[in-house]
Amino acid sequence: MAIPALNHPCWQKLAAGGLSKIRTQHLGTQLLAKRIERSTDPLPARAAELHAFFTKWERILPTEVAQLTTL
Amino acid sequence: MNQLISVQAAAELIRQGTPLSLAGPESALDQLPAGNWIGGTIPYFMVPSGGVVVQDGQVFATDLSPAGEVSFASYGPEALGDISRNGPDNGFAVTIIPAGSSSHQKFAADAANFEDAFLKPTVGWIAGVHLSQLGTVNPKVYDGRTATKYEDRAVVAYVKLPADKLASIEIVNLFEPGTGDLLQFEQTAFEVDQCLVNGQPTNFATYVRERGLENGQLPLVGDFAGAHVNASLQSVGEAGGKVVLYAPVFPGVDYHFAKPVGDYAAAFRARLADQSTDGLALSCNCILNFVFGELEGKAIGGMAGPITFGEIAYQLLNQTMVSVRVH
Repeated sequence: MAIPALNHPCWQKLAAGGLSKIRTQHLGTQLLAKRIERSTDPLPARAAELHAFFTKWERILPTEVAQLTTL
Repeated sequence: MNQLISVQAAAELIRQGTPLSLAGPESALDQLPAGNWIGGTIPYFMVPSGGVVVQDGQVFATDLSPAGEVSFASYGPEALGDISRNGPDNGFAVTIIPAGSSSHQKFAADAANFEDAFLKPTVGWIAGVHLSQLGTVNPKVYDGRTATKYEDRAVVAYVKLPADKLASIEIVNLFEPGTGDLLQFEQTAFEVDQCLVNGQPTNFATYVRERGLENGQLPLVGDFAGAHVNASLQSVGEAGGKVVLYAPVFPGVDYHFAKPVGDYAAAFRARLADQSTDGLALSCNCILNFVFGELEGKAIGGMAGPITFGEIAYQLLNQTMVSVRVH
């Protein structure tokens, strides 16, 4: 499954706390989810960070990527 | 190579230009020539036959060259954000920091907020000393490029991977959160006096002592979006006093004291039995697991490595086994 484009609404949802709802055992995803949850960065900056993260790790996170647009 | 070797053998590897991550007693690391290496002091190791304590003349050597192209750096406590910022676009940073230093404290508090922290993973460990030297000898890290040792600096080996490879950091944490009180903290801190217990302000030292947890055997387990991240107890003051931790607690994280673990070695063996060792490049485990689990002479499986005063997997962990795998 391809990574949604940065302008896809899923990134704003994920950055607003949705990432914590993704089922994952990947430590980096879990720790990033907590950091994003506690972050005071503007929502677009958090969304861009998540887009970059999943673009980078797409190959080893197929089940996580499949959940991105389902929240 | 990922094993205990003699100082002489390590020196020869260094002279051949082999990029190494080294761990061992200060007296051993002091004998090594300048070259392509980083190192940190620690005399405890987990090898295939079980936990061992090394006195002199040996170091634990990990050859990083099979994983990728290796370069080296070191950073003072004010520049720790550069560890991930300067890392290769595809790879990982092996980082060693001395226990008790301001670098240790700053990394622990801030690592998850460093630029690119989750795009360019940092893995590594906190250097320590023989437990008989606690408080009398300071842990050291070594920038092998000049064979210089430091008490307050992070030394880094950057491993740049080929384009068709990716690195992932994996942990084995034996501790599960218990079903007792919900503990929360209002500040990022290694030293804690107040906490919230089920929402009620409470002196933490009093709380710990009233429950007989002051021996430090059970860590706090934080829920980081499903990941269990421990903060272990270093010392507990008298009732009304402070608790000192080996890793900070964070606001916005729910903590519980851990459930007890019976046989640490058996628990590690069970967790590691079904894990492939393919692609593993580096591993470390915690001195508290070594001590409380009585791991000296007990094999646990998995990859060999140093037994450390803290583990790094993106951020500082406690009482956790950490590995990095190249896919």
